[in-house]
Amino acid sequence: MGDVVQIYNDYKDHADFLTVYVREAHPTDEWQMKSNVKDDVCYAQPKTLEQRVAIAKDFTARYKFPLPFGIDDLSNAADNAYAAWPERLYIIDETGHIVYRGGMGPFHYKPAEVREWLAAKYGAVKHEAQTTAAPASAASARTSTSSGATSAMTTTPLSAPANSKK
Amino acid sequence: MLIFASILTVRPEGAGSLKRVLKWLAGVLAVLLLAAFGALCYIAGSPKDAYGMVRYALPHMHRGTLQVGSDAPDVRLVALDGTNHFHLRERIAARPLVLVFGSFT
Repeated sequence: MGDVVQIYNDYKDHADFLTVYVREAHPTDEWQMKSNVKDDVCYAQPKTLEQRVAIAKDFTARYKFPLPFGIDDLSNAADNAYAAWPERLYIIDETGHIVYRGGMGPFHYKPAEVREWLAAKYGAVKHEAQTTAAPASAASARTSTSSGATSAMTTTPLSAPANSKK
Repeated sequence: MLIFASILTVRPEGAGSLKRVLKWLAGVLAVLLLAAFGALCYIAGSPKDAYGMVRYALPHMHRGTLQVGSDAPDVRLVALDGTNHFHLRERIAARPLVLVFGSFT
C-alpha cells in the first residue's frame, strides 16, 4: 500500500504530520548497505548536530520531501523516548495520547497500518500518486523482493514514494 | 566398604560417560551456533551484513515501553534550519498527529 508521502498527500487535510529525523541507520562507518552505495546515499554517522542537520537538508532537498520536519539532536532524546530507530510510526490523538504504535522497523514498519487508521477515521482517500520526489532505489527496498532477505533489513529512507522511479 | 569399592570400580566408566556427554553437548552447541549464524546471514543478506546487524543494529533496536493509550513523550527537536528548536507536543493540535521516525540511509 502507499508510503508516508502518499499518505501525507492523501490525508494532510485531516491529520497533521511530523517527520523526526533520527540517527542514521546505515552510515558508511557502520553497517553500510550496497543499495545506499548504488544510490549515492553515503554518509558517515554524524558526530555533530551540524552534520546531522546537513544530512537532513540533503535529504529534504534531494527528494523535495513535503512533510513537516524535525531533527533529533545528538542526545537522541526522541529516539530514546519513542524507541524510534531505525524507523517507526506513531499516531497521537488530539489529547496527546498514543492511538497507534507501529512496530520496530524495518520488519514491522508498516505505513499501510497508518493509512488504515486514518481511513477508519476519515474514510479512504487516494489521490493520484506524485512522481516528483522519486527517490533512489534503496527507497523501494521494502516493496522490492529482488534481493531476497537482504531487502528485509534495509530501512526505507523517509521519502520512499510507493511508485518510486529511478 | 562395599559401596566404596563399587564407586571405585564404576568411576572409569562414569568419567567416560561424562566425556561422551560433553562431546555431544559441544557438538549440539556448535550445530546450534552454526544454524544461528546461517539464519542471521540469511536475514541480513551476507556474513558481512550479519556482522553489521549484530554490531550496529541490534544494540539500537528497542521495543520501547510506550503503548496505545500512553501519554506521548515530549522531546525538543531541532528545526531544519539547524538553529531553531521546537517541542514535539507543540505540534499536537485539533487533529491526529502522525509521527514518522527515520533517517536518510
